[in-house]
Amino acid sequence: MRRVLVLGVMVAGIALMLWAGWHNLRERKLAMQKARDSQVMLIPDKGGESAGDMPQMLGKVAPAFSLTDLEGKKVSLADYKGRPVLVNFWATWCGPCKVEMPWFEEFRKQYAAQGFEILGLTDDADAGKDLIAKVAGKAGVTYPILLTDGKVQTTYGGLEVLPMSFYVDRNGVIVEQTAGLGSKDQIEANIKKVIASGSTQAGGM
Amino acid sequence: MRSMVMVGVLLGVSTASFAQLGGLNGPAVKPKQYIAYTAEEQAVQAGKKSTIELIFKVAEGYHVNSHTPKSELLIPTNLTLKPVQGVTTAVPEYPAGISYSFSFEPNEKLDVYTGTFKVKVPVVATAGTHTVEATLRYQACDHAACYPPKSLPIAIAVTAK
Repeated sequence: MRRVLVLGVMVAGIALMLWAGWHNLRERKLAMQKARDSQVMLIPDKGGESAGDMPQMLGKVAPAFSLTDLEGKKVSLADYKGRPVLVNFWATWCGPCKVEMPWFEEFRKQYAAQGFEILGLTDDADAGKDLIAKVAGKAGVTYPILLTDGKVQTTYGGLEVLPMSFYVDRNGVIVEQTAGLGSKDQIEANIKKVIASGSTQAGGM
Repeated sequence: MRSMVMVGVLLGVSTASFAQLGGLNGPAVKPKQYIAYTAEEQAVQAGKKSTIELIFKVAEGYHVNSHTPKSELLIPTNLTLKPVQGVTTAVPEYPAGISYSFSFEPNEKLDVYTGTFKVKVPVVATAGTHTVEATLRYQACDHAACYPPKSLPIAIAVTAK
């Protein structure tokens, strides 16, 4: 009788240990699975080139926006109707952006007679006006710097790359768009293109 | 394995359809990341001070700022751990970055991570299996463009015996 009892306790003990081991393993597997699930979802896109992130805005009418500049003044794209405009998205943390900004400033002066203007839209508006003004000033920028509102980025296709530029002709149509830093020559060619576009007694009504 | 991939696919699809609600007629927006986390099981001794190593891989052709970039304007790589019962975590230890310059700005030295980098987290865990949730915030660039800051959510499986 006693022997049966001991045997029973032993069997129960072994069963408990097996169960605990299995339970432990199962829990670890679940935790690992959870960890791996997030990994599967987050592996970067292999074909992730800058061009792939480019929003398809070419040939479209440039989305309207009304934003505040560093002095708190409202500036709208519509204010520049009938003029060729370069809409450039940049950020204070973006190195390549700050390389092309002095070039923009140079071309703005060079092509001012043709009505050419540049609007610098700051993606990281939360960096604060003072810092933004300081960074833009250091790049020698005197063209209007506007603070984005989070919505304008969406209307321009989501903005997954910086710098991002849209060349808007006199009729308000995007005739060129670029993502990432290009050469100075390429930028000038794009500016010439946007000035020439829609210039045949343009502006419309 | 297949079921794991399925779960991943399902999660991906649901995320995509959720993102689609945001933009009206825009294409489905994929949650794009430039860093991947290698989920490895972290085994530690229960109740003892231990260090877990998290391995991150920066996608080829990209770099991210290190934890200590050389300019205040730059966004550092930073890991935030969510408190969870059974695991006490201390401040993460980040590796030193490597020196990098854009070809168009050879004199401007940046401090970046590229390829694989490891973040060490000192932990004390009670016996059992825990899932520590964390977020890696980073900002990536390639040779000519930069990408808005991203948050990479990760789940760390910690088993203490």
